[in-house]
Amino acid sequence: MIGLASAPETSWLRRVPAGAKLGGLLVFGGAVFLIGSATVLAFIAGAAALFLRSTGRPATALARDLAWPIGVLLFVLGATALLDDPGPALVSFLRLLAILFAAHAVTLTTTTAELMAAIEALLAPLDRRGLVDAGRVSLTLTLAIRFIPVIAEEAREIRDAQAARGLAAHPLALAVPLAVRVLVRAEAVADAIEARGFAAPRNGGVISGAVSSPGAPPRPGHMGPTIKDGNE
Amino acid sequence: MTTRDLVLVGLFAAFIVVLGMVPAIPTLVPGVPITLQSLGVMLAGTLLGPKRGALAVIVVIALVGIGLPVLSGGRGGLGVYVGPTAGFLFGWIAAAFVAGVVAEMLDHGNRVRRFTGVFIAALIGGVLVLYAAGIAWLALYTGLGWSKAFFGSIAFVPGDALKAAIAALVTVGVTENYPIARK
Repeated sequence: MIGLASAPETSWLRRVPAGAKLGGLLVFGGAVFLIGSATVLAFIAGAAALFLRSTGRPATALARDLAWPIGVLLFVLGATALLDDPGPALVSFLRLLAILFAAHAVTLTTTTAELMAAIEALLAPLDRRGLVDAGRVSLTLTLAIRFIPVIAEEAREIRDAQAARGLAAHPLALAVPLAVRVLVRAEAVADAIEARGFAAPRNGGVISGAVSSPGAPPRPGHMGPTIKDGNE
Repeated sequence: MTTRDLVLVGLFAAFIVVLGMVPAIPTLVPGVPITLQSLGVMLAGTLLGPKRGALAVIVVIALVGIGLPVLSGGRGGLGVYVGPTAGFLFGWIAAAFVAGVVAEMLDHGNRVRRFTGVFIAALIGGVLVLYAAGIAWLALYTGLGWSKAFFGSIAFVPGDALKAAIAALVTVGVTENYPIARK
């Protein structure tokens, strides 16, 4: 598993605030596009690689993390160099490699909680103008993270049940019951959240828009929480 | 957005992530599982409608950004945002939205007509729009050029067209059991 700030605690980059790292990454990403010399870019990519190594994550783990994106980059480099001009292909390859290294260094040294906080801070000005409700955005992200293991478990249950009946893995046989379970569960979770007094949606804005709080519209095909909130 | 919409968006995002974790279709090449993640993106649009569908995809993309390994193959992190295939990731937003809009327009009548309508919706959103975004990014950002980006990508179109058909079957199957308004 990558992510979740898998670089060692001692890494110096861990102590840099998330907002500064994201801002720095943005500036770096823009800056490398202004440079057109392959030699300079090779130097920058090398520096970015050292920067990534300075997070303290073992080289083998880094190779595993980045095998896929670097593979695609190499493929693009090969295709362009063979069929076209190798010069610009190399420049583009080195640029993207440098950005990739820098971005991965930020991912490795920033926890999910820090990045969530950075997202909320980013949304704060919009929140003040009533365009977005940062609290609701945060709730939605948290719900998604919280329910990944729950839904994964349900997928496994459906698979097991079908295997027990001698059915082979089939995308339809999995996706239909799983999607229905997700929709039913969403109903139950929404009821639970409202019952606990979560603030009614504000008016206006992207995430907060729409009305319908007190006299909520009839829920189409509401079957009630047929699936108990088990698993937890 | 009611609380219910919000929860639907959050849980559907989790559903898209889970579809990326289960290898669903046995492939000819061992070790390269075809997952159903792009099916999840199509379903976000065709089941939840354009607005909530696109938001569910945005939530998944946000989870990628905060470093969680939520993409198929356990990929995640800011590296994906700046990688050569980032166009396909960000293209998901438009893909789900367009699939939702077209599904709203075409999903009527009997089963066969509904299937056809949703299939077209998933195809336009999940293949046409998605590949336009993915190929444009690949061509311009990596400097690969339009024709090579195009021919390098279309190899994956048959698989995604098949997923569009599955998305249509799933959408019709789910809504017959559990009707949900696309709005």
